[in-house]
Amino acid sequence: MNISVREWFKTGSPWVWMNAGAVAICIIMVIGLLGLIAVRGLSHFWPADVIQGTYTQNGETRSIAGEVVETSEVLTKQLVEAGINISEDKEFSTRHLLKIGNRDVYGSDFTWILEDFFSNQSQPEMLFTAERREWGNLYGYLRTIKESGTEIARHDGNDKSAEYLSLWDNLESRIQRALDIREDILQIEKHEIGSINYELERLRLKERSLQLKNVTEAAPFAEIEQRRKELDDEYEGLQQRLLDLYTEINRDSITAEVANGKVVEIQIAKIVRAFRPNDMSVAQKSLHYIAKIWEFVSDDPREANTEGGIFPAIFGTVMMVMLMSLLVTPFGVVAAVYLREYAKQGFVTRVIRIAVNNLAGVPSIVYGVFGLGFFVYFLGGNIDDLFFPEAKPAPTFGTPGLMWASLTLALLTVPVVIVATEEGLSRIPRAVREGSLALGATKFETLMKVVLPMASPAMMTGVILAIARAAGEVAPLMLVGVVKLAPSLPLDGNYPFIHLDQKFMHLGFHIFDVGFQSPNVEAARPLVYATALLLVAVIALLNMSAIAIRNHLREKYKALEM
Amino acid sequence: MTMEAKTHSIDISALQRQKQSLRMEDETIALTVRDLELYYGEKRALHGVSMDIPKNRVTAFIGPSGCGKSTLLRCFNRMNDLVDSCRIEGQMSLYGNNIYERGVDVADLRRRVGMVFQKPNPFPKSIYENVAYGLRIQGIKKKRLIDETVEWALKSAALWDEVKDRLHESALGLSGGQQQRLVIARTIAVKPEVLLLDEPASALDPISTLKIEELINELKKDFTIVIVTHNMQQAARVSDYTAFMYMGDLIEFGVTDNLFTNPEKKQTEDYITGRYG
Repeated sequence: MNISVREWFKTGSPWVWMNAGAVAICIIMVIGLLGLIAVRGLSHFWPADVIQGTYTQNGETRSIAGEVVETSEVLTKQLVEAGINISEDKEFSTRHLLKIGNRDVYGSDFTWILEDFFSNQSQPEMLFTAERREWGNLYGYLRTIKESGTEIARHDGNDKSAEYLSLWDNLESRIQRALDIREDILQIEKHEIGSINYELERLRLKERSLQLKNVTEAAPFAEIEQRRKELDDEYEGLQQRLLDLYTEINRDSITAEVANGKVVEIQIAKIVRAFRPNDMSVAQKSLHYIAKIWEFVSDDPREANTEGGIFPAIFGTVMMVMLMSLLVTPFGVVAAVYLREYAKQGFVTRVIRIAVNNLAGVPSIVYGVFGLGFFVYFLGGNIDDLFFPEAKPAPTFGTPGLMWASLTLALLTVPVVIVATEEGLSRIPRAVREGSLALGATKFETLMKVVLPMASPAMMTGVILAIARAAGEVAPLMLVGVVKLAPSLPLDGNYPFIHLDQKFMHLGFHIFDVGFQSPNVEAARPLVYATALLLVAVIALLNMSAIAIRNHLREKYKALEM
Repeated sequence: MTMEAKTHSIDISALQRQKQSLRMEDETIALTVRDLELYYGEKRALHGVSMDIPKNRVTAFIGPSGCGKSTLLRCFNRMNDLVDSCRIEGQMSLYGNNIYERGVDVADLRRRVGMVFQKPNPFPKSIYENVAYGLRIQGIKKKRLIDETVEWALKSAALWDEVKDRLHESALGLSGGQQQRLVIARTIAVKPEVLLLDEPASALDPISTLKIEELINELKKDFTIVIVTHNMQQAARVSDYTAFMYMGDLIEFGVTDNLFTNPEKKQTEDYITGRYG
């Protein structure tokens, strides 16, 4: 059947095609974005094979070993201009970015190599990777194991042999031992000594506040002194135990020969894990991969945030968002109820509504500046003057912290909650309100018992939008409480358990910090993707729980279809 | 003029009501209205209405749309207070107490003068909680008392047998007719003195309408009932007294039989014979 273009347009098909196309493009972009960060971020944790070979460039020959991180093509001409002796037959040359590790030996972790100059490639099974607490990865061959400085085992070959493997097993059991001791040390340092320090600080503040109040009796001071003495004794004991543990953990060390033939000695206490990637089966690698990802989401960062995990950042983000929701929901709902239910509708309410809507469009950094100026310096400063004079001149609340960050974001998102709640209130049928009033309920009772419960799904919609906005916000946080590395979580076992005055870590800021402030850019880059993926996952999770709550409420109060 | 001579369509003889002759002089008066004027902004919606509503009787307001009958009904429990631009002059009292006086507790007034709306408006709660709502508002906490009252109210509203097994299911699962009877149960659960019904059956099917009408007949033993209706047959069937309103004026008010069989005013006759409205 022939129809003219005109008629085809009239049927509306082009319109449908256009709409469907727009949706398709959106979906492709979202999937592409998530796919990119997922692939880049997650592949970082896979234990790649380590290759070894001879590299000859401009007459210099050296032996190198490492993991291929990236491969690219460069113009040969460009290389020649850079002074590299290479024939200009091919227009492009392939080059690899090799992670060679051993920063203590070579000075840098990464090096670019040209494929044409790289020969005698092999994947030696006995080459091992050690993740260290300092200086990044070590790639090399195990040579000796030392206990208290004396050599107790040695093997010189590079091939798979029974002796090498027994040496390796010896190393693995010693690493495990060191890790166990380390756990004890952390337990003492972080928790036991940490809480003693915390209590000592509180005692100091108590004493100071007594002095400030001009208390002259000796009894309270003596009491404090007594307690301090007890704590000091306890501290001494722990200190002694720590010293013993440190001697224990530092007992063992190993020597290893790296690719260029140099032998390095490292303490086993400095090794996080050691493995031989070329000798691992896929199943072993998968287990390793899972362990690495678990470390990433559950551990503290190491080495200027380029290694280890980002748990404090996840925790900080979630805690800040939850606190923000707790602050913004009542505030926004109460404001919306007044605007919609009690305020006389007219010019003034209209202006207020416009202002509220515009507030949602103010750039977030402006809120950051406001938060710093008003919350931190003014409110925080006054709170310190009033309630924490004993801590002065060190600020308690007069410095950026979790509380002020949450409050700033609450302020940033309150327009969203107000608008959504007002929308919900306006949709409650008049008949239901009148039904309640006609039974002798006052306006307030009607609001509390009928209207607000029925509007609760709309409030949740507001909270969902607020969470989506707040969780991804970074700019204002840099002014009001986020730091690169927080020494402790804002939630712990020391009274009062939630430390609203503490600074905290945040995934969004962590991405910025790792990506742009890191001294080791190449090492940090995959973590940028991994952290970004995690941030998206955390926000999605927070949103999904809020949506689940909303759907539950909707099911419960579905009278709006009347 | 005899009944047969009338040409209107309302079959008075079909009414199965007791044929006692009612006289306003014999009645106890529940609500009095004197020179009531109501304005929406500048527009006058009620023009000096005066009437007495007798206790334990069904009084119907009839009239064409926009004549002010619902507005008048909503004055009895001060529902018009919710309309910002609404202003009232004149007097209206419940057993001699002016309900528009300063300092009147509106919530208490509304408890004494209950209201059922045109469309069923149950709360999104369980059947039980809907009926218990008014009691809880009054601060009644005793579970046994609430249980008993809920049962009594649902029985009085002829709904108990249909819902007794699913009291704790959502009220929104009931049919329209059941919802309307639930709303009536909810209203009588707080034991009001007067029951205002604003076209209670207009959104219902004929069978549900019949049930509501039977219910009204039952309820007048305990309550003074004022009903607004569009449906003249309904007014004739259920009411003892009828007021005909037109354009904000009370045209005629009297015993239902007389008003339908022997209207005093030409306008009333025209309306009930279907000549306009």
